[in-house]
Amino acid sequence: MAQPFPYTYYACDCFDSTTTTASKRASQVLAAAAEEDERDFDPRSPRSNYSLFPLEHLLYCEDCQQIRCPRCVIEETLNWYCPSCLFEVPSSVVKSDGNRCTRNCFNCPVCTAPMTTNSLDTSGDNGPPYILACPYCHWSTVEIGIEFEKSTGISSQLARVANGGKHIPTQKERDKERERKKELEERRREGRAVMSPSEESPTTDTEREEVAPSHDELFANLGAFYKSQMEAQTPSNPFSSHDINYSSPSAYSRIVNLYSSTTSKKNKRNKHTPFREAGSALEGLTIHDSAADAAAIERIKREGWGSTLSPSTKHAQINPNLRFDNELRPLATLLCTKRSKRCRSCRHILSKPETKVTSTRYKIKLLALNHIPRLSIRALPLNINPAQQQPLAPPARPESAFNYNGLKSGIPTHFLLHLSNPLFDPIRVTLATPSTTPGKVQSRITILCPQFDVGANTDVWDDALASTLSPINRTSLINDAGQIEAGKIWDRGRNWTSVVVEVVPGFLKPVAFPVLAEDGKGGGEAEGDDGGLDEDEDVLEIPVFVRIEFEADVVAEERGLGVSVGGGDAKKGEGGAREKREVAFWTVVGAGRIAPL
Amino acid sequence: MSRPTARKAAPKGEYIETDSGNKVSRRSAITGTANITLGGRTVIMADVVLRGDLHSTRPVPSSSGKEVTPTSISIGRCTVISTGSVIKPPCRTSKGMPHYYPVKIGDNVFVGPNCAISAITIASHVHIGANVTIHPFAIIKENVKILPNSVIPANMVIAPGSVVGGQPARVVGEVGEGWGVSGGGAGGGLGVGGGGEEKWVEGGDLRELVRSIK
Repeated sequence: MAQPFPYTYYACDCFDSTTTTASKRASQVLAAAAEEDERDFDPRSPRSNYSLFPLEHLLYCEDCQQIRCPRCVIEETLNWYCPSCLFEVPSSVVKSDGNRCTRNCFNCPVCTAPMTTNSLDTSGDNGPPYILACPYCHWSTVEIGIEFEKSTGISSQLARVANGGKHIPTQKERDKERERKKELEERRREGRAVMSPSEESPTTDTEREEVAPSHDELFANLGAFYKSQMEAQTPSNPFSSHDINYSSPSAYSRIVNLYSSTTSKKNKRNKHTPFREAGSALEGLTIHDSAADAAAIERIKREGWGSTLSPSTKHAQINPNLRFDNELRPLATLLCTKRSKRCRSCRHILSKPETKVTSTRYKIKLLALNHIPRLSIRALPLNINPAQQQPLAPPARPESAFNYNGLKSGIPTHFLLHLSNPLFDPIRVTLATPSTTPGKVQSRITILCPQFDVGANTDVWDDALASTLSPINRTSLINDAGQIEAGKIWDRGRNWTSVVVEVVPGFLKPVAFPVLAEDGKGGGEAEGDDGGLDEDEDVLEIPVFVRIEFEADVVAEERGLGVSVGGGDAKKGEGGAREKREVAFWTVVGAGRIAPL
Repeated sequence: MSRPTARKAAPKGEYIETDSGNKVSRRSAITGTANITLGGRTVIMADVVLRGDLHSTRPVPSSSGKEVTPTSISIGRCTVISTGSVIKPPCRTSKGMPHYYPVKIGDNVFVGPNCAISAITIASHVHIGANVTIHPFAIIKENVKILPNSVIPANMVIAPGSVVGGQPARVVGEVGEGWGVSGGGAGGGLGVGGGGEEKWVEGGDLRELVRSIK
């Protein structure tokens, strides 16, 4: 999900730790780890796609004291539900009927909008027949010739009717029909007394409906065939010389037979008929029919591409072999799940929602938001006029007019990096950033005050009652030349501090500007690989390394009280044991897009 | 973090504030005010159209036998309707007669600028981006984020905690566990004064945002 500027992503380092240990020897791992520490985080590396998350998607494991991203948690499904009718589906039904809603929820096969059941009755009292219609693109089951007699139980009605209104036999009827056909064939074979499959011609009896069997039918046939094969394979005597392999289905059914069937001993043990493959349509064999292809080509000639399906429409269908728009079926809505999440390394539960579908509350929820400082960036108003600066009124903020999508190359721009502390202890923050952004467009970045303190997240009223914080005289921050002085914080509050970052956006095209030539740093490399810009290469993303140090209460942690919960205890200092903690992580701050010159 | 909608430098008294703290722009177009309820601390920005006149024409059964004014739009607390949005109760034609059904919008809902809303229900903590169209009788559950420029088809039900987008909208993701949790941690009133971070998050408590609108 692309976020509008400015944004902050947090890097979870879980992917680094797994790959290095897997492939290298211990000595190399150490070296690699050291190297890893040295290296700057590159937000453009293809791998970092998988490690950057917005803060609200991250969890925090209090036992490992680490951020947990969606990749380093284990998910456990609590329940399944239909997102459309919000009914919970029991897991047994999911196993038997698949992950689709078995009520009246359908999506349009063309545009995916949910479909409604409409009446075709013109008399005005909403009687039968009914159809499924899409309110968005106006596709309806009329186009595939399906109408329903009742307005409820649509999915069972739909299962019984093929496109065009023909009846689809149920599983049982299909099985019976298959048996009947098989017997017929058997009899015919006996009558001829010779096995001559080549001259097998359909007799008048089987020609009753010699339409090509549908996808479902073939699948059912194939399933039945393999089942029978498996049964045939099972030796009637369970105590045969074979080793019993519990993993194979035949061995399993053999063991089951051991207890159930006594009659099976009677049928002679015919020595291992080899496991054969399906040999006829009744056994689920499909033979490529060139006539069907010719017909399809003929149809495309006649009706044009308009009658064919787009890849995405085709992909959404359950039968993968559809080609034409009259073969579409309404799609039963896919189910959703509610999941709990566990830490991958210590297996503690990090988040557990309430099982009720409509409930949005959580039983357990350990958010990174409550443990990791929130970093945010925004443009600093350009008019650094001390007189105007002082009473900066929030409603008429001039920065709302700042165009984040049009950063100007080569012109120093100031951003405000704002760090707020969710912890109940004051923290000491050290920020680091590479001097130029990685990638082809190299922008110079300077954090004017890389080391500072952030107050504890105490009661809001503490701030108001004890005004210990001296107001920052911002005029002193700006020197005579109108530049912001380095080494001083911009502003701070109860549990937040903001510092200024100076950014000189790079040039999209490595033109030989005199500025660049003098610069010496930005120009050289950019000219080296002049391969044009990739997508989003003009986005100014600043990797920022954040390291925080603080003293936390040991006892409160060990008693299992989170920092967020045990805040009151921590202040009292039960036991008095304090330990020094250190948390470090990479973030990527998206400051804007550099405008082309 | 989307920015708040373009707040025009309004002259003094852009908003009329009611006793319960609702802020209604003088430049909004509201019809049928008797049929609209605002929960308190709700902001109706400029050029918003609320069609309160399109109320249910069916007789409302009342115990006292008195004539009850039917509600056509009810909006909860701390909800922000941004500039240029239109809220129109959904309509269904039966027996040749149009029947309007009341719209219900929950608490802490943010509706972006230039939306057209005909949903039947929008639950609490929903964030609707700019230029979103919601067709009649859509039901939007709690903690849903609707991406800008989406079109929600009629009768669609959006499950709690989904992110939807596209035309027609489909579920494209889930909001994180931290949806609506403001950044400062518990009781997280963030920085006051200039340079402070935005004091509200999408899907979170919009009280601070409401307070900052003047």
